Amino acid sequence: MSGSGIERGVVLVATSVDVTAVVRQSLSGKRRDPRGSLFAWALLIALLLSLLALAVLLWDVIADSLSVWVERTFGNFLTSQLSANPEVAGIWQAFYGSLLLMIFVIIFAVPTGIASAIYLEEYAVNNRFSRMVNAVIRNLAGVPSIVYGILGLTIFVKFMGSITGPEVEGRSLIAGGLTLAVLVLPIVIITTAEALRAVPNSIREGAIGVGATRFQTVRHHVLPVAAPGIFTGTILSLARAFGEAAPLLLVGGITTFFQAGADSSFLDVLQGRFSAMPVLVFSWARLPQEGFRALTAALIVVMLVVLFLINFTAVYLRNRYEKNV
Amino acid sequence: MTNAQDINLHFHQELETLEQTVLGVADRAEQMVQMAVEAVTTGNQELAQQVIGLDDDIDRTYFSVHNNWVQLMARFQPLGSDLRKMSVLLHLNNTFERMGDQCVNIAKITNFNAGLPRVERIAGQIQEMGDLVRPMIRAAIEAYLRQDLDEARLLPAMDQPVDRLNANMYKEIVAVGGDPQQLEWATKMLMASRALERLGDQAVDFAEQTVYLITGERAEFNETGLDGSTDDGSS
Amino acid sequence: MEQELEQQTEEKVLDRPRPAIEMATTRAEQEPKDLPIVFSVRDLSVYYGDFRAVSNVEMPIRRNEITALIGPSGCGKSTVIRCFNRMNDLIENARVEGRVEYHGVDLYSDGVDPVEVRRRVGMVFQKPNPFPKSIYDNISFGPKIGKYKGNMDDLVEESLRKAALWEEVKDKLDESGMALSGGQQQRLCIARAIATSPDVLLMDEPCSSLDPIATLRIEELMLELKSEYSIIIVTHNMQQAARVSDRTAFFNVRLSDEGQRTGYLVEFSPTEELFTSPREKDTEDYITGRFG
Repeated sequence: MSGSGIERGVVLVATSVDVTAVVRQSLSGKRRDPRGSLFAWALLIALLLSLLALAVLLWDVIADSLSVWVERTFGNFLTSQLSANPEVAGIWQAFYGSLLLMIFVIIFAVPTGIASAIYLEEYAVNNRFSRMVNAVIRNLAGVPSIVYGILGLTIFVKFMGSITGPEVEGRSLIAGGLTLAVLVLPIVIITTAEALRAVPNSIREGAIGVGATRFQTVRHHVLPVAAPGIFTGTILSLARAFGEAAPLLLVGGITTFFQAGADSSFLDVLQGRFSAMPVLVFSWARLPQEGFRALTAALIVVMLVVLFLINFTAVYLRNRYEKNV
Repeated sequence: MTNAQDINLHFHQELETLEQTVLGVADRAEQMVQMAVEAVTTGNQELAQQVIGLDDDIDRTYFSVHNNWVQLMARFQPLGSDLRKMSVLLHLNNTFERMGDQCVNIAKITNFNAGLPRVERIAGQIQEMGDLVRPMIRAAIEAYLRQDLDEARLLPAMDQPVDRLNANMYKEIVAVGGDPQQLEWATKMLMASRALERLGDQAVDFAEQTVYLITGERAEFNETGLDGSTDDGSS
Repeated sequence: MEQELEQQTEEKVLDRPRPAIEMATTRAEQEPKDLPIVFSVRDLSVYYGDFRAVSNVEMPIRRNEITALIGPSGCGKSTVIRCFNRMNDLIENARVEGRVEYHGVDLYSDGVDPVEVRRRVGMVFQKPNPFPKSIYDNISFGPKIGKYKGNMDDLVEESLRKAALWEEVKDKLDESGMALSGGQQQRLCIARAIATSPDVLLMDEPCSSLDPIATLRIEELMLELKSEYSIIIVTHNMQQAARVSDRTAFFNVRLSDEGQRTGYLVEFSPTEELFTSPREKDTEDYITGRFG
C-alpha cells in the first residue's frame, strides 16, 4: 500500500516538473513561415517597381529640363510670353490661363457641388430616387474627361457661343472654365458627401435633441465638423482640374497664345482665346524644333511642382484640422 | 412563453439549498416536540438531554444559514418572489430556532421535576397539546412545500384548541389540591404548557409567512387581547 | 430605604420626556398618492414601414417622478421613449399611431412644431454625445437658438451646477467638451439638456457606457433632479430601475402571427410593487430570471 503511495507521489512530482518543460518547449522556437515571407517580399518588390517607374519618369523629365533652368532661370521661363521661337518662349499665358480656369472652377463648381452634397446627405429622403441620383453622380465622376470636352463643345461653345465668346465662336476661357467646372462637379459632390457622412450621427441627434432645426444643425454642427474634409476634397478636385488637357483641347484651348493683347479688358480676356498648361504641353510636344524638347520638359516640371504644392496644402490643412478637433 | 429557461439558475439552486436547510430545522423541531413532551410527561431525563443536544445543532445551523443568506443577497440582489422568499427564509430561520429553544424549555422541566410525583391529568393534557402542535408544524411545512394557500389558512383554527388547553391549565393546577410535591410538579408543568402554546403560535406565524411568499400580502393570523384572551373569547 | 430608592428611580425614568420615536412607515405610505400627470400615452403604436415595433401602449407619466422603462431587447422601450420628444420623426419610415399627450396636447397632432417640443422635453442619449465645441458652447447652444435673452454666463453656470459638474469644469469652460471623462461627458449632456429649461428629461440608457462609479453619480443626480423635472429613463439594468424610479413599466416582446416581434406593455406599477410582488407572471419571470 505504502509502496504504491510513494510511487504515486513520485509520478506526481515528476509530472509537475514535466509540465513546465513541455510548455516551455511548445512555446519556444522560431516560427517558420516561408509563404508569408515570400508574400512580404513580393509586395515589397511590387512597391519598389512602382517607385522605380515613377523615379525614372521624374528623372527623365528633370534631366531634359535642366538646360532651361541653367540658361534661362525659372522666373524668366515663367513670365515670358508664348512664342514660336524656342529661345524666348515662356509659359506666361498658359500659367495665367490655368490660374483663371481654377478660379472659374472655384466659383462655379465648389459652391454648387457643396450645396448639392448637403442637400443629398442632410435633406433628401432616402428613397430609390435619391439612391439613383447618388449612383449617377458616382458614375459621372468616372466619365472620361474628353466626354466632358464634347459636352462643353456642344453647350458652352456652340449653343452659348454668343455669351461665352462672341468673337471667337464660343471657344473662350469662359467656355473652358465652365467645362472644367462641370467635369469636377461630381468629384466635389462626392468628396463633400463623404465628409458629411463621416460626421457621426450622434452629433446631429444631440443638436436636434435640444431643439435645433435641420438648418441650425447643419450650419452649427455638421458643417464645422465636416469642413476640413470638404476643404481637402475641394483642393484635390482643383488639382484634378488643373491637370486636364483633353476637354480644353476640344473647347478651344488649342492655341498657343492668348488672343487678347495687353490693352484688352478683363472681359475680353475671358471671352477670348485662351491657353492652359496641360494644353501647352500638347502643343509644344508636337512642335518640330529641338529647343522645344527642353521647354516641354521644363513645363512639365512646373506643372508637377504646382500639383505637388496643391496636394501638400491639402494634406497639411487636413492634418492641422484633425489635430484641433 | 412556453420554453422558459432559468437564466438565473445558480442563484435558484443556492436558494433551494438554503430553503431545504431552513425547512430541515422545522422538521427537526417537530421531532423535538415529540421527544420533549414524552420526556417531560414520563420524567425521562436521558431523552431530555437528547433534546438539548439537538438544539445545539439548530443553533449552529441558525448562524450558518444567516451567513449564507447575507452572501446570497450581496451576490445576487434578488427581486420579485425570490426577494420575498429570501425575506421569508430569514424570518423562518429565526422562528424555527426559537422553536428549538421552546423544546429545550420543555425538556429542562424534566430535570426540575425529577423525583416529583406526576399528576396524570396534567401529563395527559400536556401530551394532548403536543399531539396538537406537531400536526400544526407538519401542516405548515406541507403548506409551504406545496405553496398551498388554503392549507396555510387552516393553521389559525388548529391553534385554537392549543390556546384553550393552555388557558385551562390554571384550573388544572388549582384542582391538584393539597399535596405540595404534586403541586410543585404541576406548577412547573405550566411552563411546558406555555412553551407548547408558543410553539403553536410559531406554527401559525410560519403559515403567515407562507401566505406572504405566495401572495405578497401580509396577513396577521394571531389576534390576542391584552388580557391574554384569544379569539374564542376564553381566557 | 432600598424600596424608596427604587421607587424614586422608577418615577425619574417615567418623568423624563418621551423621545420622539416615530413608527417607521414604508415609503409608499409616506408619499402622496398621485402626482399630476405630465404625459398621457393612449393606445400608442409605432410602425417602421409595415413592421409594428410596439403596440397599444397606455400609460401616464407623473410630474416629479422618475418612470423607468425596462424589458428585454427588442421590446420597444427605446422606440417608446423617443415618441415623447418626436425623435422618431428622424427615422424615415417611422409612423406613430395613437396619442401622446403632453399637458393635454397631442404631440402628434397637426400644428405641433417638433422643434418646440424638443425644447421642452430634453433628451440624454446612451453614448455621451457632447458637441465638439467648448463646454460653454455646448450648454449655450440650445438657449441661444431658443432666443434666450438673459445672462448666458449665469445660465451656463446654473446648468452645470444642477448637473453636479460645475466644480469640476468651472476653470476650463472654454476647453473642449470631448476632453472630459465619460461620466463627466454624460453630466455635460445632462446640463446641456436642462439648459433649455425643459420640464421633462428623457434618458435612453444613460449609464450603459459608464463605469459603476460614474453610473452611481448619475443616479444620485437623477434623484436630485427629480424635484424639478419629470424623468423617464430606459434601462436594461433592473437594479438601476429599482434604485432610482418611482414607477416602472415592464415591456415584453411577442411573436405576432406574421412572425413579427412586436413589443407591448406588460405591467406598469409603482416600483416597490413591481420588484417585490409584480402583478403579472411575465414580469415575475423576467425579474427573477426564469425567462426564455
